[in-house]
Amino acid sequence: MPGKYSLLKESWIMILMYTLALIMVFVLTIHLLLVSPLTGKTFDQVLTYSYVLDNLTYYRIVFGLLLYAAVIHGLNGLRIVLIEWLHIRKFQWIINIIIVILMAILLAFGTYTLIVL
Amino acid sequence: MKVRIRRYDGQKEWWQDYEVDVKSSDTVLDVLNKIREKQDHTLAFRLSCQMGSCGSCGMVINGLPALACQTRISELKTDSIRIEPLYNYKVIKDLVVDLNEFVNKHRSVKPWIIRKNPEELEEAPIEFKVTPEQNLTFVQFDYCIMCGICLAACPTVAIDPLFLGPQALGQAYRYIADPRDEGFEERIDILDDSHGVWRCHFAGACSYVCPKGVDPAKAIQFLKKEILKYRLLHKKKAATKPAELVEKAPPPNAPKPPPFDFKFEGGV
Amino acid sequence: MGEDKKEKRYKTGLLRSLWPYNFNAERYSYTLHRITGVILALYLIAHVFEIYHFALGPVAWEQTIALLGSLGIWEKIGLWIIAGSALYHGANGLRLILNEVFGMLLGKPVLPEYPYTPTSLSRNQKIAIYVILAIVIALWIWAGLYLLEGLGII
Repeated sequence: MPGKYSLLKESWIMILMYTLALIMVFVLTIHLLLVSPLTGKTFDQVLTYSYVLDNLTYYRIVFGLLLYAAVIHGLNGLRIVLIEWLHIRKFQWIINIIIVILMAILLAFGTYTLIVL
Repeated sequence: MKVRIRRYDGQKEWWQDYEVDVKSSDTVLDVLNKIREKQDHTLAFRLSCQMGSCGSCGMVINGLPALACQTRISELKTDSIRIEPLYNYKVIKDLVVDLNEFVNKHRSVKPWIIRKNPEELEEAPIEFKVTPEQNLTFVQFDYCIMCGICLAACPTVAIDPLFLGPQALGQAYRYIADPRDEGFEERIDILDDSHGVWRCHFAGACSYVCPKGVDPAKAIQFLKKEILKYRLLHKKKAATKPAELVEKAPPPNAPKPPPFDFKFEGGV
Repeated sequence: MGEDKKEKRYKTGLLRSLWPYNFNAERYSYTLHRITGVILALYLIAHVFEIYHFALGPVAWEQTIALLGSLGIWEKIGLWIIAGSALYHGANGLRLILNEVFGMLLGKPVLPEYPYTPTSLSRNQKIAIYVILAIVIALWIWAGLYLLEGLGII
């Protein structure tokens, strides 16, 4: 019964995975460069409140994109690992729903953080 | 030479050691035959053609799945051989594994030519032309002998027995790439499943162990590409064009051979 | 097979699937890709909640940083592993996109001839894997030096 226990066709999920992966290559690079030696600061200095606030507000779109891409790509990856590992077709929807709820929680917390600043 | 074999008799599993005299030209299958003939007739293993074209004698030799009849002792370059049944399969006895699931997976991807008009296959007034170039796009994957070795090597099959496996997916691509086939949509419904083609993560172990050079990993990546092309661009197997229908050529009017003249010349 | 229904698969399971010994380089990279992916996904969950403390104001943020700082060198080692995971997962993921989406680095279908070297695991693929490893290891060492700098070790 293909597709019966999944929310979307697997190929569309994978298209999403590949697209988000390509987006993340760019936005995650920016994110990592902001905490890298190229900033001219030591690692403890890049974690200070003022520096992080500057970055989060200046690159708000980048971090928003990163949040959504990383949460969806990462948790879907976890879902793939779980449905392969547990491989019970009947209970697959439980894994799917847990993952979707977790995604929603993470996106809510992350979006709140980005909006409130 | 010391040979360690993983035994199983339905209740218990154990390792058993044998000491066998071998020639340098012997294959692992020859060694197993020697053990069965001279030392232990209870040892069970499958064999048929002994020349690598039936795919019966797949087993794990020194940790690598291979055909026993194609693996020479001298190639192994070790003092002892360790022989186990294929990984990821249910063991029936000793080295004999249960291939039912494997065959059912193969059957589930419809490994035959599908035409929208089935009469074209039943009683064909026409024939399908496949040029040598078109043939080359799928003939490699047609060499599969269904030995089941690729599933023993596949890391996804190790955790997910529902995964179709490299063999079935490779065969699915073989028929999808076939210019005569029209069953693309029918097949991708089966392949585009939560335990279908996307559970392949290209570890490539199937191609690494394949004894016939079928390269299932390549077929699966091409299959993914074809499915993505179909979903995003609604393009069906752009790799090859559907074959032309050619009117079957009438039997040629071959000239009759001249009657042979039975005439004795000379005599006794 | 009726009497005893204890049909066990031979040498299967999670550890077996992640154990690439004896196999090809691609299978090693599969194992690494999967492990780094799970590390990153779990870290992501923690990281989103960590950053959430930022929205609660400077005091909460300083407390979070102090809490993580109390782990000492283990925090740095953890971050170093996560940095390596991200680098490897990203670089190897790009190779997989080339393979799976564009069908590159695989070669063309050929007529198999003895000794049956599969073209999908051929020279191009190997070069890609080694280039990825070289880049990732170089960047990873760089990240490690940077993380340890703050501890006064270097």
